[in-house]
Formats: sequence, C-alpha cells, structure tokens
Amino acid sequence: MPLDRKTIICACEDVTVHEIDASIARGYGDIESLKRYTGLGTGPCQGKSCEAGAMRICAERNVVPKEAQVPFRARPPQLPTPLAEYAGLPPEITGERVAQPGLRPTWGAGPQPLQPREPLPARADIVIIGGGIMGLALAWNLAGRGAGKVLVLERGYLCEGASGRNGGGVRAQWTTPDLIELARESIDFMGRFAQELGINIWLRKGGYLFLAHDDETLRRIEYGAELQKKHGLATRVIDPGEAGEIVPGLDVSKFIAASWNPDDGVVFPWPFLWGYAEGARKRGASVETFTRVTGIDAAGGRIRSIQTDRGTVAADRVVIACGAWSPTVARMAGVTLPNVPYRHEIVSSEPLKPFLGPLVSMLGTGLYFSQSLRGEIVGGMGDPAEEPGLNQSSSLRFLARYSRALTELMPRLGSIKMLRQWAGCYDFTPDRSPVLGKTPGVAGLLQMSGFVGHGFMMAPAVARRMAEWMGGAKDEMFDRYNLRRFAEGRLIQETFIIG
Amino acid sequence: MDRENQATLRISLDGEAIDAQQGDTIAAALLRACVTTFTRSVKYHRPRGPFCLAGTCGQCLMRVDGVPSVLACRARAEEGMICERQNGPLGVDADLFRAADFLFPEGLDHHHLLTGSRLLGRAAQEVARRLAGLGQLPARVRESAAGEVRMARLVIIGAGTAGLAAAFEAGSQALLVERESRPGGAALLFGAQPPPAPACEMLLESECVGLYTNDTKLPGPALLAVRRAGHLLAIAAERVIVATGGASQPAQFAGVDRPGVYAARGLLGLPLRVGTRLAVVGDPDGSIEQHQCAAALSRKGYEVFLCGIPRRALGNPVRAIDTADGERLRCDAVAVALPPAPLHELGSSVGARARWDGAGFPLETDAEGRTSVAWLFAAGRAAAKPAAESGAAAGRAACL
Repeated sequence: MPLDRKTIICACEDVTVHEIDASIARGYGDIESLKRYTGLGTGPCQGKSCEAGAMRICAERNVVPKEAQVPFRARPPQLPTPLAEYAGLPPEITGERVAQPGLRPTWGAGPQPLQPREPLPARADIVIIGGGIMGLALAWNLAGRGAGKVLVLERGYLCEGASGRNGGGVRAQWTTPDLIELARESIDFMGRFAQELGINIWLRKGGYLFLAHDDETLRRIEYGAELQKKHGLATRVIDPGEAGEIVPGLDVSKFIAASWNPDDGVVFPWPFLWGYAEGARKRGASVETFTRVTGIDAAGGRIRSIQTDRGTVAADRVVIACGAWSPTVARMAGVTLPNVPYRHEIVSSEPLKPFLGPLVSMLGTGLYFSQSLRGEIVGGMGDPAEEPGLNQSSSLRFLARYSRALTELMPRLGSIKMLRQWAGCYDFTPDRSPVLGKTPGVAGLLQMSGFVGHGFMMAPAVARRMAEWMGGAKDEMFDRYNLRRFAEGRLIQETFIIG
Repeated sequence: MDRENQATLRISLDGEAIDAQQGDTIAAALLRACVTTFTRSVKYHRPRGPFCLAGTCGQCLMRVDGVPSVLACRARAEEGMICERQNGPLGVDADLFRAADFLFPEGLDHHHLLTGSRLLGRAAQEVARRLAGLGQLPARVRESAAGEVRMARLVIIGAGTAGLAAAFEAGSQALLVERESRPGGAALLFGAQPPPAPACEMLLESECVGLYTNDTKLPGPALLAVRRAGHLLAIAAERVIVATGGASQPAQFAGVDRPGVYAARGLLGLPLRVGTRLAVVGDPDGSIEQHQCAAALSRKGYEVFLCGIPRRALGNPVRAIDTADGERLRCDAVAVALPPAPLHELGSSVGARARWDGAGFPLETDAEGRTSVAWLFAAGRAAAKPAAESGAAAGRAACL
C-alpha cells in the first residue's frame, strides 16, 4: 500500500515521507545525511520514535546496503536534562582529567559499505582531499573558472568532519588584517549564498559580543576594536551595562567590558556544505564521498598520483584540505605539518522562542553560546586539560564545566534542557594562523588547513582567492601563510580564538 | 477502570481548573478531563497529543510551572500546578498557523524556500525565527542542583525482566538503576506479578541519561550520568549492562500523529481508559505484540478490534480509521501495537555496534551479552534477545 506522502515519520520535526524521499533523491540517503538533510531525529525525542521508521523506508527502497543499515550516532543525553543539574556535578567530574582514546570514526578501518561502486576517473587536473567547507568551496570556485577536471575526495558523508560539527558562528572580529578581510568578504557572500547556490543557510546577523573579564583581555579587545574600525567594521568596546541591554539576563558583574559588532552572526552549517557540493557538481566537478585516500605518490619531489580505496587517480596538483586530519594526509606525501588536532565539545539545547540575539563569548574561559534559527541554545567551551588527538567523543566533564560557566554568566538559563552533545576537532597551528599555498619540496602539493576552528566562516573568501591564485593570479597571502614560515620563524599570531 | 477512592487534586491548564487524582501524571489528568490536544507541531502546527506515554516520544511537551517543554506523560500532577500549552501562538485548539499544512501540500522544503530573492528570503527567515522554538525561556532562575558521585563494580541499567535476571546472577556487586518507581518493567503492563526485590542495591526513579568513557580519576572505564530527585548522580563503573528495553513506535499511516493515536503499551500503563472502542493496529500478518496488547487492553475494559496498518486515521481526536481495504471503522482511539524498538542509544553512544533487524537497531551481542565495547553488555529487548535468558547470561558474564 503506497504511503500518503505527507505521512509524518518524525513528529518532533514534522518530517514527512515525501521529505525522506526527496532527501534520498538528492543523494542524502545514508542515515547520517538523512538525519541532517531532513532534520529527523534532531528534536526533543532525538530519534527514539522516528529512526526505525526512517530506516524501514530506506530498507524498503533499497537505499543502502545491509551493512550500512545502522543507527545514526546516538548523542547524549538520553533524555533532555537541565543545565542546572549538570552545573552541580562535583569536582571529581570536572577536576583532573585522564586522557581517553576517542570513539572510532563511524567509517572504521574496513571498507565503507556506502562507498560508490563506480570507478574513480583515472586522471584529474586537481584532486582536493577533504570534502569539508574548504575543499567544497574551492571546488566550486575552481570549477567556475574552468580549471579542468576537479575531483573532491571525502572519506565520510558530507558534514562528517568539523564543518558539520561547529556552532555556525560567523564573525569579522579578528586581530589580524588578513582574517578580518577574509571574514568580511565571506559573511558578505553568505548573505547572497541562497541566490548564488540555491539553498538557504539562514544567516542571521545578531552580532557577536565578546566579554572581557580582566584588564589584559580588555586591552586585547581595545586593540582588536581599533584594528577592526580601520577595516570599516562597526566594532565598539562597550561597558557591562550596555552589554546587559543587548543580552538581558547576563550577570554584568562577571565582566568589565565587551567588544560588540552587530554585523557578525550565525548560519546553519550543513546546507553551507550541501550548497557548495551541489554547486560544484553542477559546474562539472566530482564530489566523491565515502572514499578514503590511502597514499600520495610524490616521487621525485612532485605530485604524480594519489591512491584511494577505489583505485589510483593520476594528478599534477593535489590540495590538502582535511582540517584536523591534514597532518595525517600530508605525511603520505612525506610532508610534516605543524598542525595539532584538539577536540572541542559542543551542546545544543531544546528549542526555545527567540530571546538571544548575538553570539556571546567569554574570552577568558572560551565559553560561547548563541541561539540558532530553530531556537536551540548552541554552545561550547574550551578545556585547558584537553590532550591533543583526533578525538570526537563526548564527555560528561564538558557538560558539567559548560553548564556551570553558562549558568554563572546567565542564571536564567538554569532550567533549559540539553538535548544533544557532540564533538569535533580544531586544527591548531603554532601561531593559530592557517597553512596555505605551496609545499616546500613537493611540487604540485598545496595546503589549505590550519584554521583553528574558524575555517568554516572564512571558506568563501579563502576558496575564491585560492582558486584565483591557482589560476595564476598574484596573491601574497599564499606566501605569507606558507608552511615555510614555521621553519623561518615568521609567525603571524591570531589571539581571538574561542571554544 | 478509573481508580476509585483516590484523593483528588487540582491543576490548571491554560487558566482553567482540571481535577486530577493523586498519582496521575499530567498527561493522565488531562486525558481524564478529555483534553487530547497537548501542543502544536513545529512546522505545520498540526494538533498533537501524547503518543508513547512513556517519555520516549516528544508529543506531549508542555510548559509546567514556568518551565518549558516538560514531558506531560512523565511529570506527576501536583496541587496547584500551572500547565500551559505551547506553540499555539493564537491558541492551541484553533491554531491559525495550521494553514501552513494546507499551503504546502507537498511539505515545506525549508532548504529551497524563497532562495530566488534576497529580500523575500530575509522576510521568510524573520517569520521562521518567530515561529521556531517551542517554549518560552523559563520564568524563574533555577539554582544549580548539587550532584553526587559514587563507584560501582557493575551497573545494570533497567530493572525489567532482563535487568532483574542479570542482577540475580551478579548478586551484591551489582547496582541496579531503574527509572520507574518499581521494578518489573514492561512485563507489569501485561499483568505480571511484581518481582521479588533483587539481592543488590537498587536505585528507583533514577534514569540513566548518559553513558561515557570515564575520563576522570575515579576507577573503571565507564562513567554514567543518572538523573534522580532533581540532581545528577555520576557513577564510575567497571562494567555496565544495558537492559533498557524498547521504545514504542508509531506506525506509518496518514494521521498517525493525530491526537487519539496512542502506543498500545502506553495505554496499558495509563490509570484510565481513553474511550471504549479501540482499534488495535499492527503489522499486516498480525504480530504477537498486537495480540498480546489487544488481550491486555481488553482485560483493561476496552472493547478492542484488531486491524492491520490502516490507510489513515480521521478526526481530532481520532474517531475512525480507513483500513487498507478502504473500509471505514469507527473507534474512540487507535492503539498502535508494533514491537518496541530497542533502546540502543546508551550503548551506541559509546561506540557499541547496533544493526537494523527490521524493527529497530538492537545492540549486537555475543551469547554472553558482550557488545563490541569491552566493558559493555546488553540484554533483553535492547539486544533483541529473550529477556530472562539473555539477562542471566549477561549477569554471569559481567561479574568480576
């Protein structure tokens, strides 16, 4: 019996059979993509009453092979749980930390059952390793410039890496001129993303409010605001009283000043990737998911081919845009990157009616939080005890520390319930600035990594400039941020890192 | 079947007084008063009422004493409690935003809505933001609730048949964690006698909300977050058995989300009847679940008739179904009796493998209940295994 197309499968998010079919038709039929594309399983029940129904449809339609008929990664908590209860967890949970190996990524060690059967092209002009926001935006820009056959290789589903795991904050408040300009151009582009790429990313300019808790931090925000003003930004340093008017409910005794730019904002991260991926494909590029790079042939100091678990692709130019995984991939070509991966955790609350305009961040602790268009409070906080490593598992420690910091700063949030926590990896460099451009000693190998958790918001401008530079345009940014600078000691310090 | 000689108390719904009985959940009290529309859905503003009546779906969320999105099926009614329905900006009973459902007959595709125009896109976004979100920010400040920490050798999550069997084998080294106020689990719904107290310590009204790899100095590879009495108890453990049972599943037919469609097991747990004539719908070939639920509902005083998955449910609350053969059958409510889907989430969130078996995603276990995570075991429905046998096997294997 055919189902009425508007039959509800996920009652929390009003997802219908029709929407599931539309998602499958667009190529988002694996359960992780299906969840993200339709929103099923992201509401108050977190999939406990829709995940099986969705898989039943996928199984009937033969969308995925049997080995891939698994649940989407379950995320704590099992039941919506208030901040006030996490905030009260004792020091045994929040104190000393013992490093743990993370969860294995869902793709595991064996062959990925969702891997496409078709062979890869034997040759591509440019191979981009990493289907995150950087790689996809670059592919779209390159394909639009007629750069030849462009092939993007992503080892998981789109959104599996940090580009699909961040909080969606986008801001131009930076402390180096390059980042200010890159972010400003990118945010401009996000404003017309829907018209350019045909999908909504829901940019909401609610501003960014950076709180300074001591004199040293105050000096940093004053320096930043001066620099940003020179670049035409509306940034102002304001007193706690004014900050309290922008965000009613903040405990204004917890900070001495704030840096405020009303033109920063938040976007919804996932469609940002889908838009670039679909746009790149329309322009003739190939975006291959569930395909793992296993080797890079750079014999004789130049790129010749790359090996994957779907065969070898000959190429003269390869771009490494793998975020925190970039050092692992670069090592295949005998190149050592100074980047170090660090886990950052994040949590999303139950959806509430809009009450919070800006993204608020405490510079001292790295606490940040904002309200998504769907109404969830999405936030995170850095952890000085975090060990380097490619770890994407969640911890109770994070929830306890975050909840305490957040309820101290904004006590009214105490009874808000947390729905879902997850983690992603920041790609740290020694000076917290990116690694871009050519690779000393390996002709044809290009770097596009090291964005320390903010690559997501820089990607449109970085990718445009990189595509133009690869096409022969002069752009000294790609010299300044070359890998050589670490050996030569020409570091470019960025100090406004949060999370 | 309504309980007699029960003390009554009074709560309010959107300002109107409602009589409830001592021990009622808010959902039970409202259903007793014939309130079936508890909220409006997020996108199409469809009327919604409780479905699972067990805290695993999200269809009965309400603002209670100023706290948004409380599960009405889990919270006990208390004297003077103020309940307010959410997400009906112009009234939950006759919500004009319901028009969204008819304006978008193919469904509302938010990804591609008005992407052609920057101006219209922005306007759509403004509207979307106002309509999004369920509850209002809590009215008053909730202070942080001091948590506790303890250690355990073996924690068994769930005191149903499987968890109790595991506890019996493991003896005093086990700590049993149960979210309900008594042990017994789903068997109690079908008339089983309350089980004897286990030989180990048992924490009742304690719900495990998170299972983590232990990254603290406390001993053991596992760390659990357990919600009890308004605070969190963190338990560091050497071994964990997941015996969480299953979650009632909606069937796939038009109108399954309407008020008046309930999970059969949910109705079995209610201290009242939601009408007289009940359509018990299940898999076409008539599953054991459907027959067992129908028999138990019939013992509860309902006049039941069995039916395959219907084509649609009609009315608000539902008053009839159209069967697959096109026959219209009148009823006071619909009870969906599909096998509950294994609650794999605690296990799979720490990396234990779970696979589709046609009804859900049971955790994969060997004959002794071991999952793919060394310290984690699973038994009963969570692993799609016979409850008593798999519980006992896991209890023996997980002993230290």
